[in-house]
Amino acid sequence: MATVSYSSWHVFSRICAGILGSYVFTWGLIALGASSLIAAGTEFHEATSLVSMLGFLVFLCTFCWAFVAASVVRVWAVLAGGGALMTLSGWWISRALA
Amino acid sequence: MFASFRLSFAWLHTWFGLVLGFVLMVAFFFGSLAVFDREIDRWALPQTRIEAQPMPSFDKILASRFATITEPDPEEIEAASKRVTKPLPDKLTPAHFGAYTTHRDPVLGMYVGFDVPNSTLPDDHAYGEITIDPRDGHVLPRDRLALGSAFFYPMHFSLHITWYDIGYWIVALAAMAMLAAIVSGVVMHRKIFREFFTFRPGKKLLRSTLDLHNLTGVVALPFHFLWSLSGLIIFAGIYFPVLDKMMQPLVEAHEREEATHTGLDTHPSGKPGTLASVDAMVTAARERWASRGVPGEVGFLFVNHVGNSNASVSIYRDSTDRVATAEGLHFEGATGRVIFEDPPTGPIETVNGFLSGMHLQQFKHWTLRWLIFFGGLLSSVCIATGFIFFVEKRKHAHAREGHPGSRWVDALAVTTVTGMVVATLFVLVMNRALPEDLAHRDTWEKTSFWIAWLLTFVHAAWRSGAVLQARMSKAWAEQCWVIAVSGALAVVLNAATTGDHLGRTLAAAYWPVAGVDLTLLVSAFIAVIVARRLQQHASHPSPATASLEEPEHA
Amino acid sequence: MPDALLLIAALVCAVIGMGWLALAMDVHWNQVRAAGRSPRTAIVLRVLGWASLAASLVLCLMADTATMAVLVWMMLLAVAAASIAFVLSVQPGILAPLIAFNGDSPRGE
Repeated sequence: MATVSYSSWHVFSRICAGILGSYVFTWGLIALGASSLIAAGTEFHEATSLVSMLGFLVFLCTFCWAFVAASVVRVWAVLAGGGALMTLSGWWISRALA
Repeated sequence: MFASFRLSFAWLHTWFGLVLGFVLMVAFFFGSLAVFDREIDRWALPQTRIEAQPMPSFDKILASRFATITEPDPEEIEAASKRVTKPLPDKLTPAHFGAYTTHRDPVLGMYVGFDVPNSTLPDDHAYGEITIDPRDGHVLPRDRLALGSAFFYPMHFSLHITWYDIGYWIVALAAMAMLAAIVSGVVMHRKIFREFFTFRPGKKLLRSTLDLHNLTGVVALPFHFLWSLSGLIIFAGIYFPVLDKMMQPLVEAHEREEATHTGLDTHPSGKPGTLASVDAMVTAARERWASRGVPGEVGFLFVNHVGNSNASVSIYRDSTDRVATAEGLHFEGATGRVIFEDPPTGPIETVNGFLSGMHLQQFKHWTLRWLIFFGGLLSSVCIATGFIFFVEKRKHAHAREGHPGSRWVDALAVTTVTGMVVATLFVLVMNRALPEDLAHRDTWEKTSFWIAWLLTFVHAAWRSGAVLQARMSKAWAEQCWVIAVSGALAVVLNAATTGDHLGRTLAAAYWPVAGVDLTLLVSAFIAVIVARRLQQHASHPSPATASLEEPEHA
Repeated sequence: MPDALLLIAALVCAVIGMGWLALAMDVHWNQVRAAGRSPRTAIVLRVLGWASLAASLVLCLMADTATMAVLVWMMLLAVAAASIAFVLSVQPGILAPLIAFNGDSPRGE
């Protein structure tokens, strides 16, 4: 394999982004997805099951992306930032519903 | 991360595969054993070597047995005391009863869920469990370990690390790493179609190991992917409790809405009430199933809001003939009339139910269950060959540089491959060898498993010194011999301590015990062959080359 | 036809199908018969192989409900592929009967 001069810190950052960033992103996706689907009239269990199952597949994609993306900063921005945004939106929608 | 997509995926595959591979070996091996958990239980608990029994009468047997469960189990009380804001009262109120069985169970599992007041979790319960003989209702002693369902099976999804449930999370990370390893493995494997049937055992160890790794990975790829994914989905409530943690108002609104249209109350009424004949409800349920052309036995019986006027009884069929579990029939506890029948599930829930049912395979299809068992063994071979490849590829370079990496990976690989099997066989041997009436026998057995496993690590670590000189560690062959001897010994001890030798169990067609004995003998036989091949290989070491046709492997 | 027989037949079809698909590849054809193989034969073998796998699925569907049958078939394919791979690695000659119908000359037709 081609030798790489990435520091251990960079590798650690990728791993954290892959695992923790993906977790935040998936959490947000489930929050936003479930509340949006329920708001749109989808039955409760159908909505929650769908977003959970898709969530794991999305996690897989973002996890892989964290290691193939050119910029780890972009990965963090999308996963942590996107995840936080989705979590907030999802929570806000659920409050409007209940 | 690297110059190319493929290189990044190669890095991901290698390093996550290596580190989490040790956890995955445990998950897949014990998952395979868990396919036959009830059968292993019968081997380990000779007093349960009877035929599978249907659920017994609630009124005559179960009701009085539930009454004997007066408090949660000690571990449950301890775990619950960490979740409460005020100390737990001495007496906890029972909230619900459950009893469950399948077409393979000779004994019945029963539990009582007790309300945990002042808990940080909504709707929190602590559980007390017993196991009974359904023929007469006598309670089996608590300290007899059901090696299959209570030891190997939970090992597979939680590693028995219960401290803040961290074991569940480690297995989850490993499952996700498995999915990523499958994706990255496919990306890395350029000749995936051309090499679909390729296995060249005659070539150098590095090449033949990679061939076997690729072969076992690709031919059973749908299995590896589906079982890893479905395992995660089953515990989605643990890993992503989004609604419970963040959207409680929405959850409660839904529960209220559901309660109005099902007629099943979410909360107990607080007013005392009595239970009508549950046996009559079971009869009504079975008649209803039969009239629909799906006759069957009760798989799960659930009494909610015990002792309250709004108690309900939910009865679920043991769904032997389909992949997903069956819908429930709900009765009003006080009168015995049907309140609600679960409708057929919507499309998403059907998929979810299929994936769970597929993973848990409680259905009655012995061919498919054996195929799933072999699928899990194929996964184990894939992971194990991954370790062997990792070491083989680096050991010469590491030997030259004095780098200990290969040595320690090899030691850990021995521990999680042959060592794990040694520990499993050791606990089976101890299960038969320990005195029948030993107090805390379950603790003795569990401890002997962990000690045996630890010893295999010590042995592996000692022998892996050879890897520092780029030779094969003798631990592989030596542990194979231990496997062979322990496997045979377990069968002998079973015959000696219970009299159920293969002659008798085969003649009676008592497959649970005969099956375990036969599998033990076959495993011992395979271990002998492998040990001899390894020792032959050791006396004709291959030349020190590490050239490879696929330079981009990490 | 009893389920057990249907499933055995499904397994046999899967194994034979995988065998044909393997022999459609040059590297494995050469393990069984040193002579060359025409491109037309490769196509015939592939068609036969996939047809046999499809037959295996039909047999599975006859034995069980659809959801179970699909799982059984998926696992049978894995077992079948692994078996063919092992046969090719230790005793490829066993697969000769699968191409006995073919009379390609060493120069190919």
